[in-house]
Amino acid sequence: MTTTDVPAPTAHRSAASAQRRPTRERQGAAWVFLSPWVLGATVLTLLPMAVSLYLSFTDYDLFDPPHWVGLRNYVQMFTEDPRYWRSVLTTLTYVVIAVPLQLGLALVVALALKGMKRGKGFYRSAFYAPSLLGASMSVALVWRAVFNDGGTVDHLLGTGGWVNQPGWALLAVALLTVWQFGAPMVIFLAGLQQIPAELYEAAAVDGAGKWRQFVSVTVPMLSPVLFFNLVLQTIQAFQVFTPAFAISAGKGGPADSTLVYTLYLYDRGFVASHMGYASAMAWVLLLVIGAVTAVLFRTSRSWVFYASEGER
Amino acid sequence: MPGHRTKGFCSSAAALALCAVLAGCGGSGESADGGRIVLRYTWWGNPDRAARTEKAVALFEQRHPDVRVQTSFSGYDAYKQKLATQAAGGDAPDVMQLDYRQIDQYASGGVLLDLGRQRRLLRTDGIDPGLLATGRVRGAQYAVPQGRGTETVVYDVQAWRRSGVPLPGRGWTWDQWADAMRALAKKTGRPGGTDPGQSEDAFEIWLRGQGKSLYTKDRGLGFTAADLTRWWTFTDRLRREGAVSPAEQTTQLDGSVENTPLGRGKATSDVNWDAPASGYGALVKGGVALAPMPSGADGTPGQYFKPSMFLGIGAHTHHATQAAQLIDFLVNDPDAAKILGATRGIPVNETIRKDIGPRLTGFDRTVADYQASLEGTLKDPPQAPPSGDNALQTTFQRDYDQVSYERMSPRTAAENYVTEAKAELRS
Repeated sequence: MTTTDVPAPTAHRSAASAQRRPTRERQGAAWVFLSPWVLGATVLTLLPMAVSLYLSFTDYDLFDPPHWVGLRNYVQMFTEDPRYWRSVLTTLTYVVIAVPLQLGLALVVALALKGMKRGKGFYRSAFYAPSLLGASMSVALVWRAVFNDGGTVDHLLGTGGWVNQPGWALLAVALLTVWQFGAPMVIFLAGLQQIPAELYEAAAVDGAGKWRQFVSVTVPMLSPVLFFNLVLQTIQAFQVFTPAFAISAGKGGPADSTLVYTLYLYDRGFVASHMGYASAMAWVLLLVIGAVTAVLFRTSRSWVFYASEGER
Repeated sequence: MPGHRTKGFCSSAAALALCAVLAGCGGSGESADGGRIVLRYTWWGNPDRAARTEKAVALFEQRHPDVRVQTSFSGYDAYKQKLATQAAGGDAPDVMQLDYRQIDQYASGGVLLDLGRQRRLLRTDGIDPGLLATGRVRGAQYAVPQGRGTETVVYDVQAWRRSGVPLPGRGWTWDQWADAMRALAKKTGRPGGTDPGQSEDAFEIWLRGQGKSLYTKDRGLGFTAADLTRWWTFTDRLRREGAVSPAEQTTQLDGSVENTPLGRGKATSDVNWDAPASGYGALVKGGVALAPMPSGADGTPGQYFKPSMFLGIGAHTHHATQAAQLIDFLVNDPDAAKILGATRGIPVNETIRKDIGPRLTGFDRTVADYQASLEGTLKDPPQAPPSGDNALQTTFQRDYDQVSYERMSPRTAAENYVTEAKAELRS
């Protein structure tokens, strides 16, 4: 809020009250304008989070009132549940496959689009479209049909259906995410256009070829954007659910090969009715994502280059 | 006065924001459609059942012009999960189709309305007392059985005949069944049937054929890891021989007939419940027939007549009267029975069963004849499964997946299952 919004009458007040009262008024107004958000955040986010934290210490089965069990859910998770660890391993594998593939593809396409003279708008939209559609259930189901036995991939490659083979199913899930590279691509494209042309000119004058220009100019200049995309996509990858759910018909099969963390969480909560256990899983996931993000930020100091730092 | 303006503005804005939030939350609770009461009725099944249900519901609406029935259906697995979610959110539908396995949990959890209070509108005197009792929990009637079903070996008649393998018949044993699967595979070049290893229902029948049961009377596990190891070794061997469907096919099972190997034209037979087997009619060109489930080596029958599915009313419904009327209509009305036929099993109302029995046509006739042929030969049904059992069906499939993809031996998988089942039943 700027000072022009302060109602005119305040101008007539004494200096002392003029300093105090408008501040209070402004605070009040600020809260009014914030209220939809505050209400939403409280009712839809903070309250459910608090309830879920409480439930994680209970054995709530959806039907009977929750019953306090202390740390039992957490202990069970880490020491007595092999399927939990399988879901952790599956998720890590997925993150390691999906994130680099997706970011790599997004960067390659962004580079190709940057140099393009005509039809840029068309291709940008065409590559972005899957990001809008891809998260939907219907596309995931089409994906399942494509990779099912008797599906398109089976016909083209004769490999049988990928989604029915434990060794391939997770890759099919990852490819569905990789295919939705539109959002990071657009961000890369914006980042690429920010790089001053004179840097490339200077590099060219010094005799740097295309590859050298990419390594020595593009990558360092793009590193903040790369970092941003990496953090965002990693967080998203840890929370992958829809593609795994759709491709395995909600079961995480075949043979638990697509049983990602959130899918197992869903299974414990809504199929087995162990809401307390599922809540505990959700909180562990939150902490892990927080930790991974913190680590990424820590490492970023050594490889992310901000142009403003160079000027100091 | 700016102070006043701000305060007034503040409260009205807050009220406005609150309204917006509440409007988002409400809406679905009170249901009215142009002055008509809207009843939500959900069930699981296949398109065949959907067409008949819609027709019966239309007749109900015609008789009750003040009521509109909003139906929705899905496959069993998806239905089970959705209903659990709705029930937990206090948003259970007004009228819902329930499985034997859900009643205990849902009734104890306060999701279902005690139907005793609707006795005047919902008549149950036409139902066999023993069958009716299966919908009772701690003395209160929470659900009404809708039909009677039993498991069957359903097969592609034309393919089986053409193969020259003798047709399945009464009193065959699991060993004879296995031999038939092998012979079919050899003659037709595709698996004889769906791998029944993933099916807890099939395992139960095999177990009962040996005089054992899934659960004991005091709600514990009725079998040992050794029993399950034997069953999975048996099915695993058949799968390796190619006599039953490979893992890639079996893993696609989701409770719908469309995704079974028989429905996809990749096997000659399947083990399924008799009522949903009508769905194969549209998928198998040569038509399907029903054979009894194999029995134990000494001829002990494992299969039983089970209340196929139930109808219950949501505890928080605003329209208990109309909901009871709808259930009464679906279960006791002769015109509704004519439309519904045997799509949810043979009707439970005995007058209706006698009445429409001879008039059943097509697959309904097949199911009725099949059940008639078993009458008097089967043992009593087991008591309703304990609550924890709900999730175990899925666990059973998952653990067998590890066997059929050859990632675990039948013994390891069986031991895993028994450990998990014991934990699940204790909680």
